[in-house]
Amino acid sequence: MTDTQLVPALQLAGLVKRFGDKTAVGGVDLVVPPGSFYGLVGPNGAGKTTTLSMATGLLRPDAGTAWVHGVDVWADPVRAKAMIGNLADGVRLFDRLTGEQLITYTAMMFSVPREQIAARVADLISLMDLGDAAGTIVADYSAGMTKKVALACALVHAPRLLVLDEPFESVDPVSAANIEDVLRSYTSSGGTIIISSHSMDLVQRMCDHVAIIAAGRVLAAGTVDDVRAGESLQDRFLSLVGGRHTSEGPQWLRQS
Amino acid sequence: MVATVLRLRYRILGNTLARRPWQLVGFCFGILWAISILGTVVAGLIAAAMFQGLDVARPLAIVGGSALLLGWVLGPVLITGMDTTVDADKLAPFPLSAKQIMQALTATGLTGIPGIATSIAALATIALWVRWPFAAIVAVPCVILAVLTCVVASRLVSSLSTGLGGNRRGRELIGTVVLVLLIMAGPIITGTLALLTSTRDLGERMQQIAGVLGWTPIGAAWAIPADVASGVWGLAAARFAIAVATLIVLWMLWARALAGLTTAPRQRAAKVARSGALGLFGRMPTGGVGATWARSLTAWLRDPRYLRQLLIVPLFPVLFAFTGGVQGFMFSASAVIVALVLCLAGYTDVSYDGTAFASVLATGIRGREDRLGRLLGAATVGIPLIVLLAVVTTAVGGQVEHLPGILGASLGLVLAGYGVCAVSSALIVTPVAAPGDSPFKSVPGQTFVTGLLVFVVMGACLVIGAPALGFAIAGFATGNAVWGWVALAVGIVVGGAAAALGVWIGGRTLDRTGPDLLQRIKAFPTT
Repeated sequence: MTDTQLVPALQLAGLVKRFGDKTAVGGVDLVVPPGSFYGLVGPNGAGKTTTLSMATGLLRPDAGTAWVHGVDVWADPVRAKAMIGNLADGVRLFDRLTGEQLITYTAMMFSVPREQIAARVADLISLMDLGDAAGTIVADYSAGMTKKVALACALVHAPRLLVLDEPFESVDPVSAANIEDVLRSYTSSGGTIIISSHSMDLVQRMCDHVAIIAAGRVLAAGTVDDVRAGESLQDRFLSLVGGRHTSEGPQWLRQS
Repeated sequence: MVATVLRLRYRILGNTLARRPWQLVGFCFGILWAISILGTVVAGLIAAAMFQGLDVARPLAIVGGSALLLGWVLGPVLITGMDTTVDADKLAPFPLSAKQIMQALTATGLTGIPGIATSIAALATIALWVRWPFAAIVAVPCVILAVLTCVVASRLVSSLSTGLGGNRRGRELIGTVVLVLLIMAGPIITGTLALLTSTRDLGERMQQIAGVLGWTPIGAAWAIPADVASGVWGLAAARFAIAVATLIVLWMLWARALAGLTTAPRQRAAKVARSGALGLFGRMPTGGVGATWARSLTAWLRDPRYLRQLLIVPLFPVLFAFTGGVQGFMFSASAVIVALVLCLAGYTDVSYDGTAFASVLATGIRGREDRLGRLLGAATVGIPLIVLLAVVTTAVGGQVEHLPGILGASLGLVLAGYGVCAVSSALIVTPVAAPGDSPFKSVPGQTFVTGLLVFVVMGACLVIGAPALGFAIAGFATGNAVWGWVALAVGIVVGGAAAALGVWIGGRTLDRTGPDLLQRIKAFPTT
């Protein structure tokens, strides 16, 4: 146990990203231990997606380094990315393919042996409750179904590290509960998950570690119990991030 | 309300231009071009009014006006793309009636650069009638009617080509059919004109064409002042009825098309393949090359944005058959021209992925695997098509002895093109229509510079293809069949080497530039 903990599943050191004169991420350090279920929370525009994009080799950082199981993502992207299952937010899928074709395609991209692909795809389709829509092209899917097929694509090559950006957005509660079970069993078997979310309840329930990010910086990070320090994660988040209003909203919006 | 929509449209234009200096440069060139054309037209009209009689003014107004209408209908589809900055879809959430939306869209059409230029040119035609005061007065409402017809017809075509409502597959199908018809209209018109040229002199021919067009919805409005000038008020009234009816019918058709767009759901489940129907993904070998090959080939066979580029394959032979006849040199050589155009098809291939390129990047496949997969996808469609075209055109044209040379030149070009595109598409991305959008839609963010890069890419293809082309020409010139076979060998060897080198260089480039390409694609404006 102590041996594996020496090499974090994901380690970020001093990641910086500027867009023009706006600093989106201003020096993020993060250590995600192997086998952990790590939550990343923060307000809109905090830099969560930008950070995860840099950690997975999709967005070149201006400074800093990201390692996946000790492999530098930007020095050896081929080896690092083979270990990552990535559900990116705000990008399209190849949505002219059917759900089944898309998962198969992703498996082929990761060089999963041909004889294993069909079985894996079938498992994922039933896991995501996409059986009826397997032959429908992804462009015709609802938002939640699209999210689920993207998640299936992230899982198909059995990665060691799952990076999930807003995985439960618009997913129905039944599917969400099913997926949650699968993710738990994945971490208990040694896999690592880092997930960004807006839902404090979900993070408090599912994750064992959490980092709170605002304005491109890590405000607090550690185990969930350490970070929330006796309060609920929601309250702790609000007191760290600030910006809570107590007003009833503008007068003209009130209906009586 | 109309004023609000107009302000919105100019605000959007202003914001876009302010953020993108190169687009501003292109925009200024557009305006200069419009002004120069307008100056020529107005000068020509005034000259005609001063020095010519009614027998010139009449065909000039009718033929010119008809050409204007055709330009409004075909131009956006063929050349500039549909302006969708403000369209019915975007106005749908606001509490506007269908009629108000149509008024607003007509007004935006009138006040764009083409609208303003058209209005000025159309008003200038009143000068033609200054010697007949009654006709000049009557010309004013007729010109307004004609300009409105242009705008409404263009809006109707744009609603039709972006789909008659209904499901996605239907929209894609209709879009492609409209495109084929419109592209084929070009050669047919050229051919008809070529036939007329051979029989009569210019003035007589114009008279004849004007005589016909004046009774059609296309030219009726432009014929009215001439009728008034020659004092035949009955004819004028009849034509006025035609012109008004045209506008009303177009308006009603447009209203129906819009109702179809807004009441039918934007996306509806299409034909569902039975599960397990993996298509090419079930057949290609696993791994980055096989996966990319399968995806690329699927796109070439099904994606309208790729299919649109394949439409030129039948277009050129048809065009050359009309202009030069099937015995002509150009008809038999059309495979070479098609190869030259087809080799540019993938010069910004990554752009067509859109942000889905992120999922290519996330898998961490090596650049050369991606390049090779895309090349194989394009070649699986392109090379058989070129070979088929070369065989058919030389056989039909009775020039089979030149087949090796033509094959050599065209294969040399297209293989060189695959090599060059493997490198260029690792360096350049341009804004293109999103998957599933109409391939005719104009795309914001196209800049002057990326437009010019096409010529650089084409130049590179021509340089690499030059040896085979040279031997093929030598074969034509000397009539010695040996040169044709040399051209074939050189084309395949040099082209193949260029393709292999392109995969290698392009792969190394993509390994370096992949994340930057994705960032640039994400930064493109979305409409």
